[in-house]
Amino acid sequence: MDVYILSSCRITNDRLIADGKEVLTRNCEKGPAWLNTIYRALGIQYPKFFKMDNLAKVGFLAAEVVMHDTEIARDRENYAVVCLNSASSIDDDRAYQQTIASKELFFPSPAVFVYTLANIVTGEIAIRHNIFGESSFYVYENFSALRLYDSIKDVFNNPDMSAVIGGWVNYDEDCDVLMLRACRLSDPEKMLLSENNINNLYK
Amino acid sequence: MEELILELKKEIIEVLNLDGMTPEEIDENAALFGDGLGLDSIDALELIVLMEKNYGIKLANAAEGRDIFRSVATMAKYVSEHRTK
Repeated sequence: MDVYILSSCRITNDRLIADGKEVLTRNCEKGPAWLNTIYRALGIQYPKFFKMDNLAKVGFLAAEVVMHDTEIARDRENYAVVCLNSASSIDDDRAYQQTIASKELFFPSPAVFVYTLANIVTGEIAIRHNIFGESSFYVYENFSALRLYDSIKDVFNNPDMSAVIGGWVNYDEDCDVLMLRACRLSDPEKMLLSENNINNLYK
Repeated sequence: MEELILELKKEIIEVLNLDGMTPEEIDENAALFGDGLGLDSIDALELIVLMEKNYGIKLANAAEGRDIFRSVATMAKYVSEHRTK
């Protein structure tokens, strides 16, 4: 069974690349300002974006790019979301820790706390795109194209699954994302999901 | 009271990440939840934290919150009557 990559999005500290083409270069501070710049450049209207932590924001943005102009209303129960990273939710964990760091200023923030789990990003993507299929999040030591390939390919062992939004979504001061939309189809014009092709897109 | 209302509006915009919104755009008499600003339950918890952190007000009774957080004006009235800092 072959799986093909229908679209891809790479987000680093400095660049936004969609389907292999650079569409945005950073000309602001890195980090949150860069993520807000991408949000505005993509013309998205989704106020909840500003309440998300950085990990959810960057996963959300990459999913916006790979889902651009994609209508999945009839297919939403057969779509899966699979993400991997190495930093888990450490960026938000640190932010939350700051709200409980001292006895004098002990004000745990509920809005920060709700993002202290890495898999919240898969939920945000599923909510945004009305995806009802399975979702999973794996934390590994480092990026591996083979592991990403296996994680996406595994989804298609379930014959009901027709497509996957999945990728490497890492945020720990630095932003490191490769999101793919993959589908089970036979189309020689599309890129085959393979370790080699994932590595090329990740470069 | 005018000053406190403006202060609260600025704090709400900041803690609830209401990006791009200005204090002038918040009607102090409009509902904070539901049709007004459209805040959710997590936002409600953040407002409770804001009350304690900035004004020393501890809200122990959840039912009380419904009246206090009806609008910015009701929040300001409660803060002015109960603040300890």
